[in-house]
Amino acid sequence: MELTTIQQDGLVEVINIGFGRAAASLSKLTGQRVQLEVPQITMCPVDELSDRLRPVISSEVASVHQIFSGSVVGDALLIIDQQSAAILKELLTSERAMPLEIDASAREVLTEVGNILLNACLGTFGNLLHVQVSFSVPQLTLETLEGVVTSITVNREGLRYALIVHAAFRLKNSSLTGYLIIVLSVASIERLIRAIEQWERDQH
Amino acid sequence: MAPDLATDAARLSRALVRWFCELTYQGMFATDRDLRVIVWNRWMEVHAKRPAADVIGRSLVELYPDLFTRGMDQYYRDAQAGRISVISYGLHRHILRLPATNPALGFNEMPQSGRIEPLSDGDEVIGTVTTIEDISDRLASEGELRKQIEVQKMARVVAEKAVRAKDEFLSTVSHEIRNPLNAVLGWTRMLIERKDVDAEMLARALHIIDRNAHAQARMIDDLLDVARIASGKLRLEMQPVDVRSVALATLDVIGPSAQAKQIDIRASLDPATPPVLGDQQRLQQVVGNLLSNAVKFTGTGGAVEIAVLPVGKLVRLSVSDSGQGISPEFLPFVFERFRQSDGSSARRHGGLGLGLALVREFVELHGGTVRAESPGEHRGATFTIDLPAATSAEMTQPHGRGAAAARRQTPSLTGIRVLILEDEIDSRELMAEALTSCGAEVVTASSAKEALETIGCSGDTSTPQVVVSDFAMADNEGFVFIQELRALERERGSRFPAIALIGYANAEDRRRALAAGFDQHLAKPIDRVALAEAVARAVRESAA
Repeated sequence: MELTTIQQDGLVEVINIGFGRAAASLSKLTGQRVQLEVPQITMCPVDELSDRLRPVISSEVASVHQIFSGSVVGDALLIIDQQSAAILKELLTSERAMPLEIDASAREVLTEVGNILLNACLGTFGNLLHVQVSFSVPQLTLETLEGVVTSITVNREGLRYALIVHAAFRLKNSSLTGYLIIVLSVASIERLIRAIEQWERDQH
Repeated sequence: MAPDLATDAARLSRALVRWFCELTYQGMFATDRDLRVIVWNRWMEVHAKRPAADVIGRSLVELYPDLFTRGMDQYYRDAQAGRISVISYGLHRHILRLPATNPALGFNEMPQSGRIEPLSDGDEVIGTVTTIEDISDRLASEGELRKQIEVQKMARVVAEKAVRAKDEFLSTVSHEIRNPLNAVLGWTRMLIERKDVDAEMLARALHIIDRNAHAQARMIDDLLDVARIASGKLRLEMQPVDVRSVALATLDVIGPSAQAKQIDIRASLDPATPPVLGDQQRLQQVVGNLLSNAVKFTGTGGAVEIAVLPVGKLVRLSVSDSGQGISPEFLPFVFERFRQSDGSSARRHGGLGLGLALVREFVELHGGTVRAESPGEHRGATFTIDLPAATSAEMTQPHGRGAAAARRQTPSLTGIRVLILEDEIDSRELMAEALTSCGAEVVTASSAKEALETIGCSGDTSTPQVVVSDFAMADNEGFVFIQELRALERERGSRFPAIALIGYANAEDRRRALAAGFDQHLAKPIDRVALAEAVARAVRESAA
């Protein structure tokens, strides 16, 4: 299963709306201009996720994980390498971060940032599909990339796909990169793509 | 009777809500879909200072209008749409404005984090739940941790700097200590290998070897002092010290090198200067370092001035020169160890860069202060030392090695006639004053000729009984004087006891003075009691 260029463009457009919303929330909260660049999106079967991410993100990561359920079911994660995570926290709060393991306040801020981003994007999906989506409480973990991928692949049945969304934050002349991972069943993906195609037609 | 499942479930729910309401370690309140409060737990009652009975049924907008002016209403709208929001302290500071729980931690309001989330029944959102955590303790310990990390970071930076300074210092030391050694080795080898060494060349070689060996000994002494100070092993021998005599004794030592550069050294010593409590040898080192620096950094034909005067309860000694001065950038660092203003200057002037560091250490060990001023490069510099004047109690109390001096009585010299020969007027007057105060009758002379005339012309009743003479005067006057005095005595059949004053720790002069005919010697700077005792002893011995 692969995305056509048109489907891909539609996804980028929809997620970019969510990014715009998230960036506006972060700007309002921090009193400084926070931007999220137009996302790049790829899709792959979930068991290839590790191979896709390994070259682009360092091994020690912070991840914010939310499970969503309702008419579409899946996992949503923000993954960011730990060093960038600490810098992001510093830039957002203007306070020096300590190593994340000992800085609960920094972990909390990152959890909220992940939460804002995931809510904004999945909220947009929900509106698009005209379905109510419920979320679990966001959980932040500090572990290896492999560990994160394992946690979303083990004990799950059926073929699932992952949308990999490149998320680049820009603030205070700095640029930091994270990845938004949305894991969906084949059925959910297809529903999403249909909905986006419909939305595209409605726009034009 | 069959169990009524519906009734049981309703009872369980009520019991569960009651259980949550009793929670005391976390705040929790729930609203219905229209944000009217339906649950308000014990924690909320305590910290918001509002009993549940007062808030239940009322709208959150009405109870906490600022929630909405701060934009928190968005989170309640998200909750109404089924979305959970994490509220971090870092981005919000608090959810509700509540009083701080522990003012000692320094928070004006309770710092909080929490969540605003939907209350759902199946797919349907029927209300919202807000949970609040008081994180003041956590923030305080994080703050403490952050401070410790900063301290450790600072300590690392300082340690790295120290290591670098030590490395640089080690290379300076090896270089500087090697320099005089090269001269000594080179000239020694030359004397050994050359067959045609004449007297003039021998004298020149020995002079150079002597000078370089001394320079190296001085460096090693400085290094040892620095090590002693660093390990806290430096002991001061405190006794009442006249800073003027320290200044004069130092001038004696520095004089020749100043003359060689035609530098005019002026001394201005206020007679009203009280003594200080100090270590004579260390103070001499302090003044010596300042004066030799002044001479070192002043060009040929320049001027150096040393002044000693009382300022309130302090004794001030200042050394000014018309030399190369100190740039404003370097001025704050002049007293730091191993610092010389720059590499090129270090090469030009040599030395370890320890002199001024030792000056500051010694002065501070004396409870004094030292400062450097310079109007800028090539415009001279002034170093000023302030030492606390000795109190009268300190003058009479025993102190270390000086204790013996302070305890012992100044001998009475009533009626004893003393001739003082000293070409330096300040020293001369200082000694005259010291002996006069013990009752001696003092005559002074500034040259050998004048002294011999005084002795030759005086009748029996006015003939001096003891002669005190500086040994290291210009033109070898001290040596000439004693030789001629002894010759005169042979003619007259009498013998004057003679005391030589020797520059500090100058073993060679000491030997030469005794060989030339002096009976005793005293090291400069002159201690009043020691001088009086020497005179008394001379009188006793010549009578015996």
